[in-house]
Amino acid sequence: MADTSQGTGGLTFDHSKRSWPNELNILLALIIIIAIFELVGQTFPYMNGQSFLFDTNDRFDSIFNEARLQIIILQVAIIGIIALGVTQVIITGGIDLSSGPLVAATAMVAMSFAQTELVNGNPNPKALFGVWAMDLPVVIPIVVGLTFGAFIGAINGTFIAYFRIPPFIATLGMFLICRGIALLWSNGQPVSFPTESFKFLGSGMMPVVWFLALAAVFHIILRFTVYGKHTYAIGSNEVAARMSGINVRRHKVMVYMIASMLAAFAGIVLSSKGATAQAGMGEFYELFAIAMAVIGGISLTGGRGSIIGTVLGAMVIGVIRSGFTYVKLDGSYQLVAMGAIIIAAVVLDQYRQRNRA
Amino acid sequence: MKKTLITASLATLLGTAAAAQEIGATIAAFDDNFLTVMRNGMTDHAASLDGVNLQVEDASNDLAKQIDQVRNFVASGVDAIIVNIVDTSAGAAITEAAGNTPLVFVNRQPDNVDSLPDTQAFVASNEIESGTLEAFQICVNLRAAGKAGGATGYLMNGELSNQAAVQRSKDVHDVIGMDMCNFMTLLDEQTANWSRDQAQDLMTNWMSSGEPFDFVIANNDEMAIGAIQAMNAGGIDMAAVEVGGVDATQDALVAMQAGELDVTVFQDAFGQGAGSVDTALALANGEDVDSKVYIPFQLVTPENIENFLTKN
Repeated sequence: MADTSQGTGGLTFDHSKRSWPNELNILLALIIIIAIFELVGQTFPYMNGQSFLFDTNDRFDSIFNEARLQIIILQVAIIGIIALGVTQVIITGGIDLSSGPLVAATAMVAMSFAQTELVNGNPNPKALFGVWAMDLPVVIPIVVGLTFGAFIGAINGTFIAYFRIPPFIATLGMFLICRGIALLWSNGQPVSFPTESFKFLGSGMMPVVWFLALAAVFHIILRFTVYGKHTYAIGSNEVAARMSGINVRRHKVMVYMIASMLAAFAGIVLSSKGATAQAGMGEFYELFAIAMAVIGGISLTGGRGSIIGTVLGAMVIGVIRSGFTYVKLDGSYQLVAMGAIIIAAVVLDQYRQRNRA
Repeated sequence: MKKTLITASLATLLGTAAAAQEIGATIAAFDDNFLTVMRNGMTDHAASLDGVNLQVEDASNDLAKQIDQVRNFVASGVDAIIVNIVDTSAGAAITEAAGNTPLVFVNRQPDNVDSLPDTQAFVASNEIESGTLEAFQICVNLRAAGKAGGATGYLMNGELSNQAAVQRSKDVHDVIGMDMCNFMTLLDEQTANWSRDQAQDLMTNWMSSGEPFDFVIANNDEMAIGAIQAMNAGGIDMAAVEVGGVDATQDALVAMQAGELDVTVFQDAFGQGAGSVDTALALANGEDVDSKVYIPFQLVTPENIENFLTKN
């Protein structure tokens, strides 16, 4: 995305200056991190010479440890779906802090229409509504969940675009409201035991399928449609965008609605994956989603960033999580490393921007 | 059952109680499943007593907020306060905030539990029992399965800052250190922060190393269920793996009925909630109360699961 990586979709660069796409840097960082884990595995005796990515025990048909490849992306797929929406919001120069609690609230709301009547032949012990809400077709919880997400996104967008509330404040308020809704919905009780068809949505590698499919869709939309060009234009220079006839307010509402619907969908997939909806779900998801976009080279001042970058940013976080378990270091170290990488990503990026200018 | 004895004895003590007692309670977090059951135990029990008004507030895992809530209760002149403490290392601050107003710590053990004034008490289950009951039953099951020659497995920790998580994991290590159970070896232990979602990912990460294992011990049921879901997805024969949790939640009992979860431990959340109300009333009436009131843990296995299906 060299031609759109700095500025609006309509502008072109002076290509005589070196333009090495930002995404390649992230890919390089990813390879370096993987190499470090491989090195640790080969060097330290307690690792028994086990490889991080390669199949050392001949368990798989390919040369790779396929189980590892799967979990690396599986564990970031659901937050990745949120990050796809957050990326678009940040490109417009905004931010969305409400996505984590929205995941929880949507999970509760959607799961309430996805419960099954009988569990092991007994009545569902976590039944929330009556039998009328049991064993419904899977499309109903999906539609209910997405509608709920769209509603929340519309409120976010309206307050930001029409009432000029700073996005940080508007979505911070929604952060609290959504957590409150999640808690109120069933009085803190988990909602569990969904139908088989609902469970399928998040089973196995399905979260990855959703993540990559949605990433492909939004990559195309951002790069090749008017919606995408307007999104970049608003983030680069909102006044200029308005002068050139873009309906900035309406477009912003649309972007926040899409972001919230993606977060809502993440909530549906998450509750399906765990076969439960709980009010405490999705804690820190909003921050990890933002972190994925930031590692992926997005600019928090708007106008710059890409879906491919965010997908690679998600991969970096996935590799770190899996790698630390692989070298048997506890979660606390992961947080320190992840924090350091987020800061390093921004520092390197700013350095690069300065050099280019 | 000890719990009913405690309740009964406290109830008789209360025979002479004055009318309209006000109790203020603050719970560490309303979104915690276990604490919600406990909270329901408190409200249901208080509602069943004549002349007892219970007001419950959410501390949202914020210690400063909780201390203010205690001060507010004191300022509004309640007869007793119940605290489910946010941070177990801040017992002294809560104790001080309550002043002379009777106060009961429930479920989570404050660090000053051994130096509480006469007007304060602690109601909970003895945490040392749960991890021990769980790990020992896994050990017995593994022996019964003919694996006494050597068995390997994983330990999933709760939040590392939580006293119950630390204690339960220590108990697991202690059990594995016993002569009878030292055939068990831990391949790795890590935290999944009590969460089903994180446990799924952690278990899948462990499985990706391809090392064979015989057991998974988790500090709570949610993580045990997450591990089970990951093992199911990975095509592991659940009959060959012993999985243990703590809490005996509804979700866990269903997993046990499906033959996936082998051991869990019932912590009587409802009983703790009710017990805290009784103890608070006894203190408010100036009765002599033990500074530690224990509600026992109970082991749950497929053999006795029927007794627990309607409890949590």
